[in-house]
Amino acid sequence: MIEALLQTLLNGAASGGVYALVALGYTLVFSVLGVINFALGALFSLGGYLTYLLMGGRISANGGLPGWGLPQGLSFTPALLLAALLTGLVSLVVERLAFAPLRRRRAEPLLYLITSLGAGLVLVNLLQMLMGAEGYAFPATALAGLPDALQVAGARIRSVQVLLLAVCAAAVIVLTLWLERSRSGRALKAVAEDATTARLLGIDSGAMLRLAFLLSGALAGLGGGLIGVSISLPGPYMGISYGLKGLAVLVLGGLGSVPGAIAGGLLMGLAEALVPGDASGWRDALAFAILFLVLLLRPSGLLGRRQVEKV
Amino acid sequence: MDPALLVQMLIGALLGISVYLPLATGQLTLATPAFYAVGGTLAALLSTRWPVLGARIDGSFPLPSFLLELALGGALAGLLALLVGRIVLRLQGIYLAIATIALVEIVRVAILNLPFTGGAVGIFGIPQPFPSAAGYLLPALALLLLAGWVCQRLEVMALGRAMAAVREDELAARCMGIDTTQVKLTAFVMSAVLAGGTGVLAAHFLNTWNARQGSFDSAVIMLAFVILGGSRSWLGPVLGGLVLTALPELLRPVGDARLVLFGLVILSGPALFPQGLVTPGLLERLGRLGDPAGRPGAEGSRP
Amino acid sequence: MTVDPRLAPTGGSAASPLLELDALSCRFGGLVALDQVSFAVQQGEIFGLIGPNGAGKTTLFNLISGLTPASGGQVRWRGEPIGGLGPERINRLGIARTFQNLRLFDSLTLRENVLVGLHRETRAPLVEALSGNAGFRARQAALERRAGELLALFGLDARADDSAANLSYGDRRRLEIARALATGPALLLLDEPAAGMNPAEKDELCALIDRLREQFQLTVLIIEHHVPLMMRLCDRLAVLNFGRRIALGSPEHVRHDPAVIEAYLGGQASAAGERR
Repeated sequence: MIEALLQTLLNGAASGGVYALVALGYTLVFSVLGVINFALGALFSLGGYLTYLLMGGRISANGGLPGWGLPQGLSFTPALLLAALLTGLVSLVVERLAFAPLRRRRAEPLLYLITSLGAGLVLVNLLQMLMGAEGYAFPATALAGLPDALQVAGARIRSVQVLLLAVCAAAVIVLTLWLERSRSGRALKAVAEDATTARLLGIDSGAMLRLAFLLSGALAGLGGGLIGVSISLPGPYMGISYGLKGLAVLVLGGLGSVPGAIAGGLLMGLAEALVPGDASGWRDALAFAILFLVLLLRPSGLLGRRQVEKV
Repeated sequence: MDPALLVQMLIGALLGISVYLPLATGQLTLATPAFYAVGGTLAALLSTRWPVLGARIDGSFPLPSFLLELALGGALAGLLALLVGRIVLRLQGIYLAIATIALVEIVRVAILNLPFTGGAVGIFGIPQPFPSAAGYLLPALALLLLAGWVCQRLEVMALGRAMAAVREDELAARCMGIDTTQVKLTAFVMSAVLAGGTGVLAAHFLNTWNARQGSFDSAVIMLAFVILGGSRSWLGPVLGGLVLTALPELLRPVGDARLVLFGLVILSGPALFPQGLVTPGLLERLGRLGDPAGRPGAEGSRP
Repeated sequence: MTVDPRLAPTGGSAASPLLELDALSCRFGGLVALDQVSFAVQQGEIFGLIGPNGAGKTTLFNLISGLTPASGGQVRWRGEPIGGLGPERINRLGIARTFQNLRLFDSLTLRENVLVGLHRETRAPLVEALSGNAGFRARQAALERRAGELLALFGLDARADDSAANLSYGDRRRLEIARALATGPALLLLDEPAAGMNPAEKDELCALIDRLREQFQLTVLIIEHHVPLMMRLCDRLAVLNFGRRIALGSPEHVRHDPAVIEAYLGGQASAAGERR
């Protein structure tokens, strides 16, 4: 009983951690640019596929490339990190193609929703073209060296969930420390607070924007790799639902708030884990039902700041 | 041209108008797929489970029953919009957009999990009020003309001007005594009624109906109809809906790459046509052609 | 100030002023924008509100028009408290306003801007509006004529079909007043209507406001930095400084009030900067 509950809570915290990663990915771009990057879900998928490929996974591409794969695979940790980095680089390309042209024209924010979703569509369908629509499972040896289960306080729990939670926690801590302590992190925060003043202080806001996209993509890629190894790659569209949940978490925590994104992610993951098994089909709606309730009570999110229009 | 594709294009145009209406009050809502799904599911359920409507064993369906479904689908979607709108329309900007995405997801998951909607497979064998795809051209065109006519009348009606005022400056509109909540809610309900009716039409036309019909992706694609078509007049979303629905089909010869190309169009469109295909300048020229018929009474105030 | 008996208020008790502010306060966080401000505006008068920058004049307008909730005190309209009502309700009671930093409906034409103001009279029965029958067209023609007349008052009728975005700064100010008048107010709140106008235009505006008062039986509450203009135009003035009312009375009385002289000498630089 205790064991089951502990496992349930851990599962919830682990998927909550991934939601928090995605929400932080949105937050980074939102706080600098004030818009939502709808391509993030596609980047999540990309991260999963890249991790799989880098570990030497075989693909078939609808039978077009049966059994093709890298000759030499990496082990999980370097593969995950490299995939996250590559996803971050693709995120930079997304910025260049979907955001930069509009930014130069000072276009209205609405247009970014369209172009970023367009970029997401391109990515997902490229994946579908190159990798096929079929799902892939990571080899059972992907996490060789990690015991299947751990003994915690007398209860046996799946170690892959512990790994997930640990990586998410590490990523969040590193990101927070970087934002608070490092010169470039503080510069990023300054741009997010007030781009004009930051420019007067000599901060290159364009570079900070690219940095935000790089990090945002890397976080999504990390999330995709983690979900891939802990569950599987059900197809190129896998990232869309995580992208949407991340969006719900983002609003739940208040747009642009880093602690809000983390708290919101954990809350959402735990709430989902507590949905009983025979109602599991409804689990995907829970995040949005919670979101609805929260917006009903607090129109700017749990930890969001209320905005007042100046007359 | 293939009549089935034409019907699809008309459905696209109708959904474009549905997204356009709330946007004409400055509100970015992505709820159209939810109302479309509600209308479609209602039609699928009623026509396959309710023998009173007269579905026959050969798969045909009486026209009056179809018209009744259109009215019911529109009404149910409108009622849902009335309830949900009161809650979500208090939200601003991106919060409103995300709340409406939440509605789309809740409706999708509900249709997937409710015991009577057929789960992931959905409901199939929906009876046909028309013997062929071409038969659907008439009702689709009629709906589009009806919707376009209402939008055209709005331009000279107090409600239409109030909608424009709310879009331009909500606060100033309130100070002019306009009940902006009421105006936004009216546009939202009109949008829902149209999407619900379109769903009824689409369910019969497609013959099967499942939860995938109203998803988040389709919400943003429908928004693209409006943005790429032009958001200053209902003609924009109609053009956008027609073109962007046809595009993936016309790209079929390039095979797997067609959706990548479609994505590229959506990606690059706003930068190439920031005001959409139907630009305000174009509208002005069209308006001058239509004058004075397009502006009844205008001559009365000319000096 | 004598009140024309024909213009006696229709609602509330006959003795109560049109608009009455009773110890009105407004705080934003720790900042006190308005501190127990009281005065009453009588039917038919032109009442001026002056004071250095940041004195709380626009905040006072926002409170009266329902955009900002008061932290304390009460606003009474024809004797009835109206605190807590939204701006649309307040407008319907007969209070219209303009904005210091202009809030026109830019993509609409001049005529349409005014028609938005006339919206309460433009409501036609739905069937009539959708069909566009003779009744609707007649109603529409009458409304467009009304809009044209309002624009003509401000010399804007020739440009009725231009979009508001194309107007000069002074014309934008005039259009905003026309739009506010279209809502049929008994009280007009004007927030710096002469800002950005040259001296000749200011004189013209002054005469116009006086004329509007006669023609529409208006009461006017006006904020303006140009003190000589205010001395000429207003029946009475209230002076605000740091959120407090420091003087109240006729222009002659206010001109010689030591507190006002002190506030204006201290705040001369900012007031002069504002006049540019």
